[in-house]
Amino acid sequence: MSLLEANIRLRQGAFTLEARLEAPGDGITVLFGPSGSGKSTLLAVLAGLRTADRQTIVLNGRDLAALPSHRRGVGLVFQDARLFPHLSVRRNIEYAVRRAPRTGPAMEEIARFFDIVPLLDRRVGNLSGGEKSRVALARALAARPDFLLLDEPFAALDGPRRRAFIQVLVHMHRSWHLPMLVVTHNIDDAAGLGSHLVALKEGQVVAAGEFTEASRGPEFQALLDSRDTGTAVRLAHSQHGGHWLRADQVLIAAEPPKAISARNILAGTVQRLMPEPDDGVLVELATEAGVIVSRLTQEAVKELNLAPQKKAWALVKAHAL
Amino acid sequence: MLSGEELQILTTSFWVAANAVLWSLPFAIAAAFALSRPRFPGKLVLDAIAHLPIILPPVLVGFVLLILLGRRGPLGALLAETGIQFAFTAKGAALATAVMIFPVFVRSIRLAFEATDRGLFEAAAVLRAGPWDRFLSVALPLAGPGILAGMVMAFATALGEFGAVITFAANIPGKTQTLPLAIYAALQQPGGEAEAARLATLSFLLASLGLAAAALLQRWTARE
Repeated sequence: MSLLEANIRLRQGAFTLEARLEAPGDGITVLFGPSGSGKSTLLAVLAGLRTADRQTIVLNGRDLAALPSHRRGVGLVFQDARLFPHLSVRRNIEYAVRRAPRTGPAMEEIARFFDIVPLLDRRVGNLSGGEKSRVALARALAARPDFLLLDEPFAALDGPRRRAFIQVLVHMHRSWHLPMLVVTHNIDDAAGLGSHLVALKEGQVVAAGEFTEASRGPEFQALLDSRDTGTAVRLAHSQHGGHWLRADQVLIAAEPPKAISARNILAGTVQRLMPEPDDGVLVELATEAGVIVSRLTQEAVKELNLAPQKKAWALVKAHAL
Repeated sequence: MLSGEELQILTTSFWVAANAVLWSLPFAIAAAFALSRPRFPGKLVLDAIAHLPIILPPVLVGFVLLILLGRRGPLGALLAETGIQFAFTAKGAALATAVMIFPVFVRSIRLAFEATDRGLFEAAAVLRAGPWDRFLSVALPLAGPGILAGMVMAFATALGEFGAVITFAANIPGKTQTLPLAIYAALQQPGGEAEAARLATLSFLLASLGLAAAALLQRWTARE
């Protein structure tokens, strides 16, 4: 059963946001879409910071639509952190603790979890982007929300710090059993975090459901740059959430490969061959790690004699995961 | 050195200006905060009312106060029953000054509120802070240095208020006679120019000190 259900309609000049959205309580839901698709507006409506023309918002059976933002129990982590500049890091977190409806984790526990103990007595103006994001997460957690919305909180972070931050988010979700809806327009971040997906395009929901399934559909793939065409996979040995495996990063062998450098070899069965306009063919392969797609040329498909129901092996370079 | 009479004038001036600032402060903060909001019904009307004392002749402001708060005025009669009298008292001088400094006061505090990132109020709202809580815990502390600068500026302006004060509180030495009123009185006396000049120099020094203090506070705020 869904924890959060919303049905929202909002007109803003020529743009109309019309979204039905469901987010379960047992995972991280990713709200994906290109810039200008209405993701941040949708979050603002859910948090009560904007009023839609028509809105039904039910959280855990409680109707939120008529409640002001401070009574909704919905937390929001902003892209720009929005820490209070007149308070230290510690006082920023205490601000949330004092207003929380029930006692939660102690300040020290939160600080240790987010690795911000040395920052507690610093002024927020002196923090780096990554530090600010971690403090914003800690503050949001300290308010003990029933549901947490995150508006691209890692947008300002570069590669390694971004991946580390995503791991903190996944860890936070698991440790505190906090249901989350995370906005992103980055497919790798989406696959790393999401157990569920809601995809927006020009204010409309074009795909929704379990992440791996919903992200395979043509409506979702159409949102991506053609270089990003791929599928979400979850590998047994991975510490991370999931991975977005791009079709261009997968090679196909018609026989079991031997003596090669690729670290990940997945046996599977060809499900479909999907020709592309420019001589390419997307080969869909069902493997133990889920469905994988590989982009080959028509010539390669012919040479390998690939056809539905035939066995084949997917070769993935380790750095692609 | 200042004479006993000059010291008395200075004391009255400070008392009147300080009370004018303190009485005006809560209303100025409320009006400034309301006016700093993007839009709400009645914003134009509130803006016009807040600026009215700048546009009206000060004598007219004093006269309106006299009509309302004079012994026979609708409010004055009510207050007289409780033993409070404004007209022709130092309290009245402070009230007339409070009305006159209101626009300057609102303007400087409004700038401080407008400079605050509105996103911080949203951040407070999603951390369960209600509207009053957001005002007290975020808006007010962040505008604090600006409010302080506004208070200094308003105090300096209050020291120079003349028309409304003389109309509503009269020019009673030792009671309602502030610096500008004393300068005026000195000029009315034959041979009083030297005394007027001494008082004018004092007035100029105080106003300059006030301006410098406000500028310093503003610079400090900007650095923060």
